Amino acid sequence: MATLHILSHSPFTDSRLASCLRLLGAGDALLLTGDAVYALQPGTTNLQALQLMPASVALYALDEDLAARALQAPERAQVVDYPEFVELCTRYAKVNSWL
Amino acid sequence: MKFAIALFAAPHQPASRRALRFAQATLAGGHEIVRLFFYQDGVHSASSNVVSPQDELDLPREWREFVTANGLDSVLCIAAALRRGVLNAEEAQRYARSAANLEAPWELSGLGQLHEAAQQADRLVCFGGQ
Amino acid sequence: MSKSLLIISRQAPWSGPGAREALDIALAGGAFDLPIGMLFLDDGVFQLSAGQQPGQLQQKNLGANLQALPMFGVEELYASQRSLSERGLGDSELNLAVQRLDDSELTALLERYDQVITL
Repeated sequence: MATLHILSHSPFTDSRLASCLRLLGAGDALLLTGDAVYALQPGTTNLQALQLMPASVALYALDEDLAARALQAPERAQVVDYPEFVELCTRYAKVNSWL
Repeated sequence: MKFAIALFAAPHQPASRRALRFAQATLAGGHEIVRLFFYQDGVHSASSNVVSPQDELDLPREWREFVTANGLDSVLCIAAALRRGVLNAEEAQRYARSAANLEAPWELSGLGQLHEAAQQADRLVCFGGQ
Repeated sequence: MSKSLLIISRQAPWSGPGAREALDIALAGGAFDLPIGMLFLDDGVFQLSAGQQPGQLQQKNLGANLQALPMFGVEELYASQRSLSERGLGDSELNLAVQRLDDSELTALLERYDQVITL
């Protein structure tokens, strides 16, 4: 039962991303929202950690949060809007938001 | 698909707006929301006492309009709400408080409502954080 | 068949109502006879330290409430061995009987449940 994990805290001040990466299953996915999109900041160890995830783990980022923060998604990440966010939730068996 | 949406964030936190946009997209996509459940600081997102500056987003109002327009089942955890000073008229009277700041369409109830919604829904989606 | 729910509790015990409110979700689910599991992760494992004195902070005893979990039918109790070890609790006696799981076991645990709430 694959899980869509949703993060919304900056990985620079918070351990949620690190904890999440440690218990990701092979078919799980990660959706970055809010300050969690800072994980895509180029030249950082956080981005490196995301790049090192197995290819089977899909990586998504919410478009408005990227644009608001002047961030570009790297090739590894797919940008989604709200309708696609909803669709993602239907595609995975469960949704785990790291509140 | 049936969604249960739980909000854990106050209206000044970005997650409250994100939850609302997600909920709107859920209905727009032809899905059903079995219940909105507000827990922890999420209860503040239902407060009718929040006053936003005129040129800023008024999220409690947007939430209220969204819930009303779509006739959604929307529940606040009563224990979380009382602890944070979010009271409807009945609770304000019960505890002899001078003001109520929760009106229809919101209802106060127990955590059993969260579990019931999670059982009925195909997906439970929670919102909180930055 | 009822859907199973795993509650992942990551909050330290005295940083606000977060830890108690996570526990309350578990207790409520147990009271409704739902299949509930609880995992203590990250700072959440500090809830399990023995000998805490919440009275010093005029707080109710969370540990006593945690011990009520099995009485509410919540018997699947887990803690991250890594979180415990990182926080100097790796070999400590805890105030609750939990199964200690390593990272790969946590992945498998998460997979088993129908729904999850992490707070």
